[in-house]
Amino acid sequence: MDESMRGAAGNGVTTWPARVLLLIATLLLVLGTAAWPARASERVSASLVADTATVTPGGSFWVALRLDIAEGWHTYWRNPGDSGEPTRIDWELPEGVVAGDIHWPAPEAIPYGPLVNFGYHGTAWHLVTVTVPEDWPEDRPLELRAAASWLVCKDICVPEGADLTLRLPAANVSMPQPASATVLAAARERLPAAFDGRATFAPQPAGAGGEAAGNQLVLTLAGLDPPDEVTAAYFFPDAWGAVDPVAPQRLTRSDGAVHLATVAGSEPPGETLAGVLVLEPERAPDDPGRRAVVLEATRDQAAAPAGTPGAPASAVTVGAAPGLFVALGLALLGGLILNVMPCVFPVLSIKAMGVLRHASDRRTLRLSGLSYTAGVLVFVGLVAAALIALKAAGQEVGWGFQLQSPAFVAVMALLVFTLGLSLSGVFSIGGSVMGWGSSFAGGGGDGGGGARGSFFTGALAALVATPCTAPFMGVALGFALTQPWPVALAVFLALGLGLALPYLALTFLPGTARLLPRPGPWMERVKQFLAFPLYVTAAWLVWVLSLQAGAGAVFAVLVAMVLAALAAWLLDLAQGLAGARRSVAGTACLAAGVAAVALAVWPRAGASPLPPTQAETDANRPAVDARLAAEPFSFARLDALRAEGAPVFINLTAAWCITCQVNERLALSSARVAEAFRERGIVYLKGDWTNRDPEISRLLDGFGRSGVPLYLFYPPGSDRPEILPQFLTESIVIDAVGSLPAVAGDTDRTKGSG
Amino acid sequence: MMSRNTLMPPQCHAVARRLAFTLLLAAATIAGSAWTGQAVAAAAIGEPAPPFTAKTAGGETRSLADYAGKVVVLEWTNHDCPYVRKHYGSGNMQALQKDAAGDGVVWLTVISSAPGEQGYVQGEEAKRIAGDAGARPSEILLDPDGTVGRAYGAKTTPHMYVIGRDGRLVYMGGIDDRPTTDPDDIKGATNHVAAALADVAADRPVASPSTRPYGCSVKYRS
Repeated sequence: MDESMRGAAGNGVTTWPARVLLLIATLLLVLGTAAWPARASERVSASLVADTATVTPGGSFWVALRLDIAEGWHTYWRNPGDSGEPTRIDWELPEGVVAGDIHWPAPEAIPYGPLVNFGYHGTAWHLVTVTVPEDWPEDRPLELRAAASWLVCKDICVPEGADLTLRLPAANVSMPQPASATVLAAARERLPAAFDGRATFAPQPAGAGGEAAGNQLVLTLAGLDPPDEVTAAYFFPDAWGAVDPVAPQRLTRSDGAVHLATVAGSEPPGETLAGVLVLEPERAPDDPGRRAVVLEATRDQAAAPAGTPGAPASAVTVGAAPGLFVALGLALLGGLILNVMPCVFPVLSIKAMGVLRHASDRRTLRLSGLSYTAGVLVFVGLVAAALIALKAAGQEVGWGFQLQSPAFVAVMALLVFTLGLSLSGVFSIGGSVMGWGSSFAGGGGDGGGGARGSFFTGALAALVATPCTAPFMGVALGFALTQPWPVALAVFLALGLGLALPYLALTFLPGTARLLPRPGPWMERVKQFLAFPLYVTAAWLVWVLSLQAGAGAVFAVLVAMVLAALAAWLLDLAQGLAGARRSVAGTACLAAGVAAVALAVWPRAGASPLPPTQAETDANRPAVDARLAAEPFSFARLDALRAEGAPVFINLTAAWCITCQVNERLALSSARVAEAFRERGIVYLKGDWTNRDPEISRLLDGFGRSGVPLYLFYPPGSDRPEILPQFLTESIVIDAVGSLPAVAGDTDRTKGSG
Repeated sequence: MMSRNTLMPPQCHAVARRLAFTLLLAAATIAGSAWTGQAVAAAAIGEPAPPFTAKTAGGETRSLADYAGKVVVLEWTNHDCPYVRKHYGSGNMQALQKDAAGDGVVWLTVISSAPGEQGYVQGEEAKRIAGDAGARPSEILLDPDGTVGRAYGAKTTPHMYVIGRDGRLVYMGGIDDRPTTDPDDIKGATNHVAAALADVAADRPVASPSTRPYGCSVKYRS
């Protein structure tokens, strides 16, 4: 039709052959074929289809460029994804006639090797509205000319195009074109609906040390409310580069909202993120279950998703969440257990010995106990507030997250070392500051100073407790972080209360104080001995730092420690001097102290630390590496392994997590465990959370945890992994995997994939 | 020791107190403010370009390190891709290569098509195709297993990268801003690679360091 009609149009409609053709065309239109394939390659045949048989002045109607695409080939959406080119229509229209932009059907994500494109298979409808001006002559037919061009690809790509013409006679009343009106209505029905809820997105900084390249992005839709069985969604961004097409998109829900966590592309979105969200994207495009909405999300600065953004839905079954009272109880218990952890015990012991001194002075004791408790609670409250705020800002954080900052680790090492020096007797920190002077050494009866000292000791105890994640705490704190902030705060404070409880009991129950041995010179020796757990803690923190920030940072913090020791010595010296000499020593002490802190913080404030790659980390743990070959954890790897039916054991760990290190040494690095894994072809995935890693945070979130360790075992074909306890023994691990029969002849599995 | 407490020099006493305070406060606040983690992207603007070693069409082995101190252009190609043909058929790519060579820029054409896929060629054929087209790359690198392509995240043919003299990536993206196969679009298009090379030559920061690459997908081994 097009060529002949084009000719007719050129001659005007008054010539009789044109009238005949017009008549034939009208007849054919009414008979139900609104368009002719203007051009058909072996890959694509293209046609123009209208939902009307006639044009009326001032009216508007729908036209579609229909592409019928051969099996195995695809054309592209408005954003073609990693490669390709969108289909285009260049209209040539009579004056006053306006064709709108293409209304694009929801595309499919089409993987090609390591790339993903956005486009169409089968039949693609590119819908356009055409508006006819009011003054359109009633007897003038409308000729729509379209130069369509598209790229069609399979394993190769072919650019194609067609000049299409559609001619519609004019009429007073619009005459629908029944057959094509029906198909166009159906095509319109399938267009993504406008989303009328609230859509926001929150970008997140990249995780260090993880495999996630680029920036994390969480899209939140309030008011979409998909049916419960919807487990997957895919967001197609309008703008190239806004979202990485290759990155997995993980759907989670919290009351009234859905969250989709993925990774921004090379041009992350600015203030808005527009595109099409498809629910159940794996379904065929004409499947009614494949719902699509078109939306424009705005950047979310403040409000946080109430749930757990980014928790993977498909890969993970959420573990049973404890109730509030169980969580409070667990937190309390966890706090109690923290007291005997190597990082807290020395501090607590010193306080306990202070009780001996003041056993007679009930009032001072109680004041001290209350102040200590207040100190713990205030510090824990501050950490909780920081956590809740960061979580609200969309950060993937959890308990112990402070230790992911090398600057924090360096400062902690310095602090713990300085405390150790004080216990060793190198110097005495002002009693009114740390509380030891007044309570341990009996620094006078001034209740005010003692109370303040106790307050700081409490805060200090809570601070040094940070690295020691006690069992029970993981569950409770994980629960807390998924709750509204008052509940979260309550759980954290319960933890603090647990930490403070032993000392509080000691000061309030005179009976317990009487159970303690009598004070004497032995206390000084115990105090000096207790410096050594602190030195060990400092040594361990320096090791953590070496993994996080490399040898340069270790050197810096070691020099900082020497400066701190110098400052401590000068302080003690100055106390024995008078006059000008004292001023000189005091000034030098000040200078050395400031230099030490500056040195501990400064080298990492600007420079980015060297994130430990898995290889590096493992190189530092030859004992583990030699026995059980670990692959770095990623969702992609986990999904792939589970898809091929391999059993998977996941170990989420961090260098600064003592429990994790102990478990790795005692349980996971044993030859028997390695043998059990090899026999069963179990792939060992290790997620190192020493530095921030959003994928690991998401996995933890998925199990209601906010910190490491977490051990998971996925038997083949099972959706529900077994969650192992936080304290592992060889036999716990072997029992967990023992249900799986040994695979003969597949003993190299872990090695091969490692 | 405690008896000296009261004799403590006021300066240091105050400092000790302030230090303790600062450390405690730091514990609660530092974590929020001192994230210093950085993503380790495969290829990122301003970061050192991913190192690689590959065989040339002539059978020699070349590494990125061989070109230390020089400006290097990486061009991903597939001679049968219509987008590549647009730029070779029009002479656009050859002209760019010639200008680059004149400025002492190293031009590496990379073929990441896997065996059996479109654009896969062996050394002799690669040289012949380049010769027929009048192409002037410094080397043609054969990357049939896609190692170099994946290290850079090369998605399309053409996909262009420019590495500065300091070995850092200064440009990645399309050859120009007209993502079509129509050679008529070359005239009037902004050539991003030429612009990036001009910026590098003038010691300016590259104005558009990252643009959308366009073309056929790189035919990696799936």
